[in-house]
Amino acid sequence: MLNDLEIYSTLDMLNNAHLDVRTVTLGISLFDCVSDDLERFKSNIKKKIRFYAKDLVQICNRTGEKYGIEVVNKRISISPVAVAAAPFQENEMVEIAKTLDEAAREVGVDFIGGFSALVEKGMTNSDRALIRSIPEALSSTQRVCASINVASTREGINMDAVNLMAKTIKQAAHKSADKDGLACAKICVFSNIPPDIPFMAGAYLGIGEPDAVINVGVSGPGVVKNEIEAALKNKEHGLDLGRIAELIKTTACKVTRVGELIGREVASELKIPFGVCDLSLAPTPTVGDSVGEIFQSLGLESIGLPGSTALLAMLNDAVKKGGAFASSHVGGLSGAFIPVSEDLNIAKAAELGLLTIEKLEAMTCVCSVGLDMVAIPGDTSEEVLAGIIADEMAIGMINNKTTATRIIPVPGKGPGEQAFFGGLLGHAAIIDVKNRTGKNNFVKLGGRIPAPIHSLKN
Amino acid sequence: MKKAIITSLTDDRPGVLASISASLFRSDCNLLQVSQTILGSEFAGIFIVSMPENLNEDELKKNLETDLRGENINIHVKPLKESKNFEKPSDPFIVTTFGPDRKGLVSAVTAAIARHNSNVTNLKAFFHGGDNPRDNVMIYEIEIPKSENLKALSEDLNKLGEKFSLEINIQHRKIFDNITKI
Repeated sequence: MLNDLEIYSTLDMLNNAHLDVRTVTLGISLFDCVSDDLERFKSNIKKKIRFYAKDLVQICNRTGEKYGIEVVNKRISISPVAVAAAPFQENEMVEIAKTLDEAAREVGVDFIGGFSALVEKGMTNSDRALIRSIPEALSSTQRVCASINVASTREGINMDAVNLMAKTIKQAAHKSADKDGLACAKICVFSNIPPDIPFMAGAYLGIGEPDAVINVGVSGPGVVKNEIEAALKNKEHGLDLGRIAELIKTTACKVTRVGELIGREVASELKIPFGVCDLSLAPTPTVGDSVGEIFQSLGLESIGLPGSTALLAMLNDAVKKGGAFASSHVGGLSGAFIPVSEDLNIAKAAELGLLTIEKLEAMTCVCSVGLDMVAIPGDTSEEVLAGIIADEMAIGMINNKTTATRIIPVPGKGPGEQAFFGGLLGHAAIIDVKNRTGKNNFVKLGGRIPAPIHSLKN
Repeated sequence: MKKAIITSLTDDRPGVLASISASLFRSDCNLLQVSQTILGSEFAGIFIVSMPENLNEDELKKNLETDLRGENINIHVKPLKESKNFEKPSDPFIVTTFGPDRKGLVSAVTAAIARHNSNVTNLKAFFHGGDNPRDNVMIYEIEIPKSENLKALSEDLNKLGEKFSLEINIQHRKIFDNITKI
């Protein structure tokens, strides 16, 4: 017999604190689809996606109903297209993106990630072709997401790739100017990209992964906030930051177990292996589902003010510890996200000028991702944008952690104006960038920033 | 092995279990399973025992009544048969309801559960009245045969929720176990 408190606490998390399974992401390898004939390659991709994913949405919905927890998004990650589609040129890459979009629509998933290349040490012809195709590919499709790994602790930072990505992002923004540069919301630039991220836009299926696998992304900033607020309201004895970190850890543990339960069941029904559970506090533009609100619950007037980095460090670490205790198969990003436009509270802080790009960068040293969904002025130069990306990559490289950028230079709009992306992507005030139209000869030197000394581990 | 099930009902007070179990011991019965609860001020106990071959249920009841004379305990004894009513493969679910107290709630919910050939294995309900939904709660643990349609039962329960202004949830038990038990 379950006791009443166990039932109440579970229902509170599910019904009142926005705990949901944010995404069940089906990883599908495309390596056995390879062909140098474009039509055959496209046909193989479609067949394979259809084979594994035809029942994904239905099974996720059924599993969600069984446990009373919503599986909000069903998604697909695929092998890096630049590798699987090595023989093809830029215009053919666009055709492949359209095929992926069509396949995703057919099986009912909202995003398909893996229009990707791993170029931290150098670029092949197909890597270049894929990157150059991104502006057209992402502005002529709805569901395709791109991620490019340009740096790693082992290999350093490929500055040529950083420069190319800055140019690509600017072009993608221009091509989707009527939607405030929306295509850029589907492009992530990574340092140390994990091969099993279930969250978009960074999801792709790594080289060493199985033919098909289920990875799950669970969220729950609202759950963490509710637990903290309940403890503060009850004036628990000895409630200091050590105790609060313990509370966050325990909550993260519970949330991760939900994710693993759902993931294993979906994987079992699909008869494929379960991969990892990624517990990331991923906000949505909804009141009560915000990472920024956690900062306020803990006594900061706003995210971005002094104390924010320390708070985020504690939050991120406690989430990771709770997740690691809950499951032996924790992966992806696992931590706290701070996507500006996707979090009402963080977006407000940016609007009020309390959150600057410099403070955001500092916070990314201790969060699980990076400069995420940051809208910047459309006239920011390619060189300056490359500088922002390079800084973020350096943090990841030196600290042996994943960092990424998802930056939107909003065409025709300047600091303080609003950019609207819609749906889960939300809206945000455009954050100013110092000397944004200036020169940056440092990044133009190109080449590769060597790997740090601590990469020499062998 | 000969088995019997004994139900007992009396005002709750110290020593009730001691008296009943001592009497069963005197009749050479072996306790196999016991469940007791207190509702309001009333004690209710159910005992499954194995009993000697030369003792029948009427004699056991007479022994208990003799031993417990003056203690005002209602005793009922019947032979225990192995249940064959619910042997289909099934899954454990929890149905919870929160909302205002109305006559006929338990009857309506259990009827819906029964319509889907599902079995209530545990029920806890309390109705204190007032506006706080947590003061008017029903928690059913039920077994739903794998052959039954969960969605149909869920829709039936939701209709009841609308009719009685209740918040009704139905979830597989594993979600509660996974979140709360490590």
